[in-house]
Amino acid sequence: MTKNAILCVDDEEIVLRSLKEQIGDYFGDKYLYEAAENAEEAWEVIEDLTDEGVTVLVIVSDWLMPGIKGDEFLIAVHKKFPEIIKVILTGQADPKAIERAKTEANLHRCLHKPWNIEDLIDAIQSGLDKR
Amino acid sequence: MSNPVILCVDDEKTILNSLKEQLLDHLSDKYDVEIAESGEEALELFEELLEEQYEIPLVISDCIMPDIKGDELLIKIHAISPDSLKIMLTGQTDTKTIVNAVNNANLYRYIPKPWQVEDLMLTVSEALKSYYIDQQLEEQNKALIKRTEELSKALEDLKTTQQELIQAEKMAALGQLIAGIAHEINTPLGAISSSANNISDALRQTWEQLPKLFQILTVEQQNNLFVLLDESLLQKNITLSIREKRAAKKVITAKLEEQNIENAIFFTNILINLGIYDDITTCLPLLQNSQSEFIFETAYKLSTLAKSNRTIKIASERAYKIIFALKNFARYDHTGNKLKFNLEEGIETVLTLYHNQIKHGTELVTEYANLPALEGYPDELNQVWTNLIHNALQAMDYKGTLNVTTFQKDNSAVVTVTDSGKGIPEDIKDKIFTPFFTTKPPGEGSGLGLDIVRKIIDKHDGKIEIDTEIDKGTTFSIFLPME
Repeated sequence: MTKNAILCVDDEEIVLRSLKEQIGDYFGDKYLYEAAENAEEAWEVIEDLTDEGVTVLVIVSDWLMPGIKGDEFLIAVHKKFPEIIKVILTGQADPKAIERAKTEANLHRCLHKPWNIEDLIDAIQSGLDKR
Repeated sequence: MSNPVILCVDDEKTILNSLKEQLLDHLSDKYDVEIAESGEEALELFEELLEEQYEIPLVISDCIMPDIKGDELLIKIHAISPDSLKIMLTGQTDTKTIVNAVNNANLYRYIPKPWQVEDLMLTVSEALKSYYIDQQLEEQNKALIKRTEELSKALEDLKTTQQELIQAEKMAALGQLIAGIAHEINTPLGAISSSANNISDALRQTWEQLPKLFQILTVEQQNNLFVLLDESLLQKNITLSIREKRAAKKVITAKLEEQNIENAIFFTNILINLGIYDDITTCLPLLQNSQSEFIFETAYKLSTLAKSNRTIKIASERAYKIIFALKNFARYDHTGNKLKFNLEEGIETVLTLYHNQIKHGTELVTEYANLPALEGYPDELNQVWTNLIHNALQAMDYKGTLNVTTFQKDNSAVVTVTDSGKGIPEDIKDKIFTPFFTTKPPGEGSGLGLDIVRKIIDKHDGKIEIDTEIDKGTTFSIFLPME
């Protein structure tokens, strides 16, 4: 019975779907895979999972989203859940924002879209290995 | 610079000489006087003088001469040099010759013999004056024509420059959007790439698993599987939002646990992904099979193929839409002819290009009346929409509501662009269309945007209206005449 989850956050549905597929396909049964379309929804998902006793291990988040941007979101996540591995996956990134995420959210990796599947898997795997 | 020449022609030498003397006396060195004793000699001399670039403002000729008569001579001279003035010295019965010279040689005056010196000189000075006034007039005309040509050319150049400026503004607007547009294309590409990967993985796995799967299922169970996959593959179920899916998950998990299915969460995830949100009756027999996990894993992989495919289709369409919008936008019609076009298509093109700027904080509300085709310059109108939308977004700092509507009012097609920004203060309202007027800091805007907008609308015989309220927002309304 898996009690660990990987959360994907992106405002583009097609990205979210294919991301979740890809990660789920590679890691298979080891984890649960969740998705959210913005920071607000992501928080809801995290809370739900925590209630169910599931630990979120990794968050892969887009940077440019409506409302709260990726870096702000991950910084807030870091305050509550410092052990979560955080990866930013983005097409347009403000370098200052990425810096902020690195220093204040202990950002594990920053990947650019379109992403290379090997880079993505490596980023997640290396993060998981750190724990 | 040699003097101008007055040519005198008379077969009587004494008259010729006295004429010459009188002229030279009164014209004080400003003119040279040449003499000829016959028409032939006169013509030869005239041609010679012309060849040597002399100016011959006046020819004075006797009427009755042995070879060529005076009027005939003057007619010939008129043919060679129509500007030279001609005076004829006449005897008493020369009316016919005079009339002939007047009609065909544009005779200036005739002087009857014998003449008074004063009369002669008066006529000669008037003739010369008249000649020079005509010359002057001709010069001025030439200068005027030249000036007009220069002005026409300058006007053409200005028009070309104006077109180039409009195109430059367009490209500048595009330049500002490029980063956002690149992202908009990048995103679908990422999705396509990863979907392609998912498909090849799922294909590989199911290829290996399918034979085994059908070995372990009874015919009835196989049918169940087909029905299940049918529903999923054909996406008959409506796609739920993430929130709704999570709620559905709880429902399914509860139902599975009711049926004593172990590892309910594992199956729930697969069922949700297969598009089963409520009714588990079809899959129950499969769930109760001892190899249920294997069955559902395979089923899931199969549905992945369909879903990834759908993602690729959606993403490709999205990328295509943006490229199409870019092509429409960057197109520059050189013919200058009016075209038939769809107003709303142009607006959509611009909105597509601005999608990235809009989606992160602005609510876009559009209401189109499906207007019939108009005639005009669609490429330039795209510039208008770009300007208005860009200004609207900036006025509200990219956060707020953008309303774009089209409708018909009497004989006009109307387009309105409304923002929820800070509004335009009364004292600036009149200036905003002035070229180079801008409220933005230097380097951020040429200030030509609304000037160009107005020129383009004028070109369409349309009009612009503004409705604005401080801190509430602004509406720009464009009226374009319909056929």
